[in-house]
Amino acid sequence: MTADSGIPMNKAEALDRVGGDEAFLRELLDMYAAEYAEKTGAMENAIRAADFRAIRDLGHGLKGSSANLSLPQLQDAAFDMETAGLEKDLEGALKALNRLGHEYRRLKDYLGTP
Amino acid sequence: MPDKIPNRTILVADDDPISRRILEKTLKSWGYETLLVNNGKGALDALQRPDVRLALLDWMMPEADGPEICRRIREGKKANYTYILLLTGRDQPQDIVVGLQAGADDYMTKPVNFLELKARLQTGHRIIDLEDKLLQTHALLTELATKDGLTKLWNRTFIMKFLDEELVRARRTSSPLSLIMLDLDSFKKINDERGHQTGDKVLIRIAENLTKSVRPYDKIGRYGGDEFIIVLPNCDLGSAGLIAERLRRACAAEQIRANGKAIKVTFSAGCASSDRLVQPTGDRLIQASDKALYRAKAAGRNRVSSFPVQKTRARRRTT
Repeated sequence: MTADSGIPMNKAEALDRVGGDEAFLRELLDMYAAEYAEKTGAMENAIRAADFRAIRDLGHGLKGSSANLSLPQLQDAAFDMETAGLEKDLEGALKALNRLGHEYRRLKDYLGTP
Repeated sequence: MPDKIPNRTILVADDDPISRRILEKTLKSWGYETLLVNNGKGALDALQRPDVRLALLDWMMPEADGPEICRRIREGKKANYTYILLLTGRDQPQDIVVGLQAGADDYMTKPVNFLELKARLQTGHRIIDLEDKLLQTHALLTELATKDGLTKLWNRTFIMKFLDEELVRARRTSSPLSLIMLDLDSFKKINDERGHQTGDKVLIRIAENLTKSVRPYDKIGRYGGDEFIIVLPNCDLGSAGLIAERLRRACAAEQIRANGKAIKVTFSAGCASSDRLVQPTGDRLIQASDKALYRAKAAGRNRVSSFPVQKTRARRRTT
C-alpha cells in the first residue's frame, strides 16, 4: 500500500461505531489530535534514544487509536512504527514517523481543518 | 433512560484514551457505571473491589498486561467471580490461547464491535448470576448442615465436631477445655400448658441470651429438645462454673414474653473440664457434664453443678 492510497478516514464506519453521534465523533477527533501530538513527540525521543521497546509500544498505541476512529492510513503507518520497533529497525522507524506526519496532514485536509 | 442492571459496575482498563472514552460512553448508554483506568496496576487495584464483577481489559498496557492481570486475579481467588473480557488487536490463535489460559473468560478484537460486546456482556451476566446462585446455595446448604433450624445455634453434629477439634487443640496447647450442659427446668410444662409455639419462643429467646453472654470464640449448640451445650476453649472447671452461674442468674431474672404473657424460665447446668478427666474425649466430657447436670436437677433445679464437685466463689445454688 502506498502512502497516498485510500481515503484518510472511513467516516461512515467511525460514525456507525459511535452510534451516529457527530458531536461525539468530533470530541474523539480532538482527543486523537492530542494523542497524536503526544505519541509522535515521544516517538521522536524514542528513535533518538534507539529505545525499540518504546517505539513498538507507541506504534501499537497509536495504531489502536487510529483503528478506533477508522483512520486506515494512520493505522497502517502506526503499524509500520510498531513493526520497526519489533525488528529493531531505526531506519524503518524514521520512515514510519515521516509517513505518520504525511497521513496526519492528509487527515487534517480531509477534515477541513487548517 | 436505560434500565438499571445488576452488577452494573464495569472496569475498563485501556491505555488508549479514545478507546476508554468510546467504551465509557457506550457502556453508560447501556446502563452501566464505568470505572476507568489506564494501566495494569490500576486495573489490579480496581479488581479488588467487590462490586466490580465485569472487566474489559486491554491486552497491552503499561505495568501489567491483560493476561498478567487475569492470572493474578484468578490466583488471588477473589470472593466473587469477575467476568473478564480481553480486548486485543491480536487475533492469532496462539495469542487467543494465551489469553484464555491466563484466565480470561472471552476476548474481542479491537476496534470493538458494540453489538458483539453487548451480547458477550450478557454472557458475562449469565456466568455471574450462576456463580452467585451457586454460592447462595452453598451457603444455604452449609447453614442447613450446621445450624439448628429453630434457634440458629450450632446443631448437635456440628457442636460435637467442634468439641472434638477443640479437644485436640487443648491437648496440643496444654490448656483446659470446659463444657457446660444446660437443660431448661420443667420445659415440658410450658409446652403442655402454653403450647409448642410458646415453647419455641422460649427456646429462641434462651438461645439469643446465651449467644450474647459468652466469649466470641465459645460455641453454643442445641444438643436436644431443651438441652444446650456450651464449649469453652481455654477455660478451667472453676471458670466454667462461674460462667454457668452467671448465665443461670441472668436467665432466672428475666421474664420471657411470649404471646402477650410473661414466662419465668430457669435452667439447671452441669459443667465438666478436660483437665479434670483422665484421657478426656468429647463423649467423656458429655458424660461428665451430664452427671453434673443430673445432680443439679436432683438438688432442686435452677442451679449449677460440676463434675467433679467444685467449691466455687458463687456458692449459692452451686453444688
